[in-house]
Amino acid sequence: MVKLTIDNKTVEVPAGTSVWQAAKSVGIDIPTMCYIEETEHFTSCMVCLVKEAGSGRFFASCSTPVVEGQVIITNDAETVESRVASLELLLSEHVGDCEAPCQLVCPAHMNIPLMNRLIAAGDFPRALEIVKRDIAIPSILGLICPAPCEAGCRRKQVDEAVSICSLKRFAGDEDLKSTAPYLPEFSTPSGQRVAVIGSGPAGLAAAWYLQLKGHQATIFEKNVEAGGDLRKIDTENLPREILDKEILVILSSGVLIRLNETVDENRFSELQKEYDAVVVAIGTVKDGMSVFGLEKSMHGIITEKHSYLTSSPKVFAIGNSLRNSKMAVRSVGQGKEVAIVIDNYLKTNVVKSFHERFSSKFGKLFEGEFTQYINDSESAVRQHAGREGFTANEAMIEAKRCMHCDCRNPESCVLRELSDRFEVSQRRFKVDERKPVERLIHREGVVYESNKCIKCGICVRLTRQYKEAFGFTFIGRGFDVRVGVSFNESIQKGLVKTAAIVAKACPTGALSMFNEEEQL
Amino acid sequence: MDDVIERKQIVDKIIAEKGRSAGSVIPILQAIQTTFNYLPEESLRYVCLKTEITPEQIVGVASFYSQFRMHPVGDHIIKVCVGTACHVKGAGHVYDALKRHFNLVGEEDTDISRRYTLEKVSCLGCCTLAPVVQIDEITYGHVTSDRIGNILSDFEHHQGISGQGKGSFRTADGKEIQGEIRIGLGSCCVASGSEEVKKAIEETIFDTGIKLSLKNVGCVGMCHQVPLVEIIPPKGVPTLYAKVSPEEVRGIIQNHFKPQNKIDRLKNNLYRFFERVQTDAVWEGVKKYAIDTREEQVVDFLDRQIPIATQYRGTINPLDMQEYMDHEGFIAQKNILSGYTSDQIIEVVTRSGLRGRGGAGFPTGRKWRLVAGNHSETKYLICNGDEGDPGAFMDRMLLESYPYRVIEGMVIAAKAVSATHGFFYIRAEYPLALRRIRQALIYCREKNYLGENIMGSGFSFDIEIYEGAGAFVCGEETALMASIEGQRGFPRIRPPFPAVKGLWNQPTLINNTETFAQVPYIIREGADRFSAIGKGESKGTKVFSLAGKINRGGLIEVPMGITVRQIVEEIGGGVQNGKKFKAVQVGGPSGGCVPAELYDTPIDYESLLEVGAMMGSGGLVVLDESDCMVEIARYFLSFTQNESCGKCTFCRIGTKRMLEILTRITSGKGMEKDLDELEYLARWTKKGSLCGLGKSAPNPILSTLKYFREEYIAHINGKCPSGKCQSMIVYQINDLCIGCTMCAQKCPTEAILFKPHEKHVVINDLCIKCDACREVCPVDAVLII
Repeated sequence: MVKLTIDNKTVEVPAGTSVWQAAKSVGIDIPTMCYIEETEHFTSCMVCLVKEAGSGRFFASCSTPVVEGQVIITNDAETVESRVASLELLLSEHVGDCEAPCQLVCPAHMNIPLMNRLIAAGDFPRALEIVKRDIAIPSILGLICPAPCEAGCRRKQVDEAVSICSLKRFAGDEDLKSTAPYLPEFSTPSGQRVAVIGSGPAGLAAAWYLQLKGHQATIFEKNVEAGGDLRKIDTENLPREILDKEILVILSSGVLIRLNETVDENRFSELQKEYDAVVVAIGTVKDGMSVFGLEKSMHGIITEKHSYLTSSPKVFAIGNSLRNSKMAVRSVGQGKEVAIVIDNYLKTNVVKSFHERFSSKFGKLFEGEFTQYINDSESAVRQHAGREGFTANEAMIEAKRCMHCDCRNPESCVLRELSDRFEVSQRRFKVDERKPVERLIHREGVVYESNKCIKCGICVRLTRQYKEAFGFTFIGRGFDVRVGVSFNESIQKGLVKTAAIVAKACPTGALSMFNEEEQL
Repeated sequence: MDDVIERKQIVDKIIAEKGRSAGSVIPILQAIQTTFNYLPEESLRYVCLKTEITPEQIVGVASFYSQFRMHPVGDHIIKVCVGTACHVKGAGHVYDALKRHFNLVGEEDTDISRRYTLEKVSCLGCCTLAPVVQIDEITYGHVTSDRIGNILSDFEHHQGISGQGKGSFRTADGKEIQGEIRIGLGSCCVASGSEEVKKAIEETIFDTGIKLSLKNVGCVGMCHQVPLVEIIPPKGVPTLYAKVSPEEVRGIIQNHFKPQNKIDRLKNNLYRFFERVQTDAVWEGVKKYAIDTREEQVVDFLDRQIPIATQYRGTINPLDMQEYMDHEGFIAQKNILSGYTSDQIIEVVTRSGLRGRGGAGFPTGRKWRLVAGNHSETKYLICNGDEGDPGAFMDRMLLESYPYRVIEGMVIAAKAVSATHGFFYIRAEYPLALRRIRQALIYCREKNYLGENIMGSGFSFDIEIYEGAGAFVCGEETALMASIEGQRGFPRIRPPFPAVKGLWNQPTLINNTETFAQVPYIIREGADRFSAIGKGESKGTKVFSLAGKINRGGLIEVPMGITVRQIVEEIGGGVQNGKKFKAVQVGGPSGGCVPAELYDTPIDYESLLEVGAMMGSGGLVVLDESDCMVEIARYFLSFTQNESCGKCTFCRIGTKRMLEILTRITSGKGMEKDLDELEYLARWTKKGSLCGLGKSAPNPILSTLKYFREEYIAHINGKCPSGKCQSMIVYQINDLCIGCTMCAQKCPTEAILFKPHEKHVVINDLCIKCDACREVCPVDAVLII
């Protein structure tokens, strides 16, 4: 047995054990990407570096055996910096999108590609569930949203953008047609109460998501009907039937609404006392108007950028009250985000910024690169929704035009998880010249995107271990090294026995199963 | 169809010769390439069918080593050496000129007639002749961009007459020796034209009938003076002629010796007459060397040196075993085989203080003790001759000139650690070294200095040769072993160390060529004698290749602790062309710079580390005031970046990103924050890389940032102080111009506006900054602004 110290803990393990395993045995988690237990170590990614206390020397813990009396540090500032450095280098050549450009562009950050795929598969209820994760009023927005997402859509480079907005409307409308519109699962009631001032898109969304998180939301609306600025839109563009129905769904979640009740400064102070948190969603703040004594600028109420906290404790502000915008979808998105911030605040008594999850991105496709993506979609011209919206058939045809720009492994990807955990920047070592994208598709097996590969060689070792006739191999050397099938054979021929195995073992989205959907 | 069958038969033959195991893959690929001039995919697939080699292995290996080509190339390969010494002397301009000459655009490397393929090589090991270009087997030194045409026509000429010539030179028989002529035949000498000189000597001997014995000797070390010819009369003082050209040979010989009979004398005169008639006396194309200096004494160069690895340099014929034995050869081997225990050998080596000469300086005795302590039936011993540093050629010279000494050192080591099998790992770029070692091994086996029951001692040990296929990283011991095993040259983490688990998982001793070459001396002369030389923890001598902007470059062996100043000023004769000394780059891409203010730094392991350099394998490249230090850092980084194996993140991507930043800075687009990012990346690449290549790759950056930071800042402010960085300079012609039109004639892009007898003007928009005008201007009127 060998005795050593890791992060001040004494560890005793058999000789030959790696430092990584020794640390794991006492519950110290050292990140790694290129090491899995199914195959021998390779020492490539270097995110598992640890420091030897005496010498200050760094080495890869996944493959270095323990030494008697060693003192190892895995978590001081310098070691953390080593992880950041290796991750930032890996990301600088990672030509991949965790999320599709349409989703990144959407102010509500809706998972558009996943909705598309579910509609394409005819699973409309699941599609609606996905929509409702981010958008509380899809049918309304489906009619009035200017659809910035479609500007980001890469299908534009082939023919025309996917009709995302109408697809979302379709999902919403299908739901409204049903006798029991979708209600997500509720968290256990917390007994805490939040006042939401205003029932425009921002207020409705905030109340809905707060309610779902188990907090009693109460909307205060000065008018006799809920909807705020939505009521100002002409009925031609936004039929009142849709508006009323969708508000009703929100109220059916248990959200309380006090109509015809104006909140003035006095009432506001009372709300502050009566409620555990207050959300100000009163719409555009006019010049010279005082807003409950909250600090404001020429645009509107001043809040902390990512937490929506105003100058007053436990008072948050969202929507047009911050800055006038014609995009309801922005207000809706902020409603969701503030609910998350308040939920955390009510649980921990700490206001923490809304966490934007790390998302790798590489921007535009080069001329001609869409050919790598087009095989993931079906060819059809853009469908145009009539007054009544898409028919089910039209919606499915349209949804199939989506090219799956998002990654197939956004949840299991270790690179994303670590980049998120260590809050790294992908742009730090950004270069003008990126590697080209390549997407090899085997519809019964894997999709291989070499541009997302970190050259850890796990797949090379596994295909060797399973004695694939061709298998994966390293081709070339140095920065230009790539992993590919020997003799440039097809992916099918390369992975006769191991498709699912390598897809599962790949630490990034370079190898994934064509037909698996891990975001559900 | 027949073609396919024939190809298969060829491959079958290769397999039969090289073996079917996974370990045979590199020799098989080398043989296939030698036959077909590239690696046809069908042949590789066929190899997989017929052997244990898998597609994954063969594709991985073939694409890893730079020797291998997947596509056919032209009939002749032109290699432009871009090693450090060549680089600082303008190899880039030469390469560009060749590209222009063949109209190659972008990535193209073969001209339209498919006659020539142009490639860069990291080092041909002829640093003192820089810049060097090799066409097939012929090497041209001191090439300038305006001499390209001459070289090519000379090469074509040689092509035409190959196989002709007199060839049948008459060796004088022993009785009638009038004297001895020694001619250096190391790679430098050959490259400088010693083959032609040798031919001229042979012809002279033949024509004149003078009875002379012509003797080939290995590298003399005075590579700045090559080709060297030494005339040794039976009585009197030998005379050494430097930089001899073939047309001078006859004069030199006749100066010392007279033909013995009248007929020969007559014949002699006749030949000379015909020669003048038949041939063009001016030997322009192959005039690879300017001939003006002729020194009889080279005291300065040799005086400060202590030859141990290079003992009896210039005296012994590399392959003449008897001569090696006459000069104390194999005494150490005989001694240890007849009386020393393993312990005793290791004890002597330990006490001598010898440390690994490959660069890291690990105590040799301790390494041997570790290997000896691991018991195993099979143990390997490897001589690391994979000298990859651009600007270093010590290993090449030792292997070429002292093959027996290296072998003797290996046998002693083998006995000490009980090794059973030995390997020479030698770069394929060193054909002469490979030939000599191959022959020397045969002779050693014949005399039973190697093989079964060596010299009746009961100890058996044999050595085989493994040709490196071109990967700098294979100088790293774990990568080297992977390569012998037939894998990609990926290093692996240590421990386990090779001493415990090395080649094919057996205990393995790896030492550098120079280390082995010093062992016989230590055994023979005793540990104390060796350790009396040197300084502090660095004992004995070290061989360096001295090149760059120096008057007398070459191979030198000096006591550890000698200062940079002593080497440059006393041995090297100072900086060339009266320029100011700026720095010496020590240790190549893993080393650093010693600047002028540290001129008196002693050269030993510790002192060099202290100033931020590193012994490395022993390249010393002298830089003068006209060299741009940022550009030098970029040069080294582009080398390591290109040679990175690509296994670990820091080396694979870190070197690439650092190179991008340096490229930005040298092209005038650098920003203040680039220096911080460069330092950050350098720090982490050093700390975080898996093997020595990555860990030392940032050294040239860190050391230039330390001593020449102001040059970096100048670039960021838009100026290259030395006028080297192409995108930051413009060419101008000043009033000294005499209007001779030479520059305009040489300009490849017609960027010079000229009227005869009037001052010419550079049109900057057309100028490609090839430097041809500046080189050719007779009055130095072309300036870089």
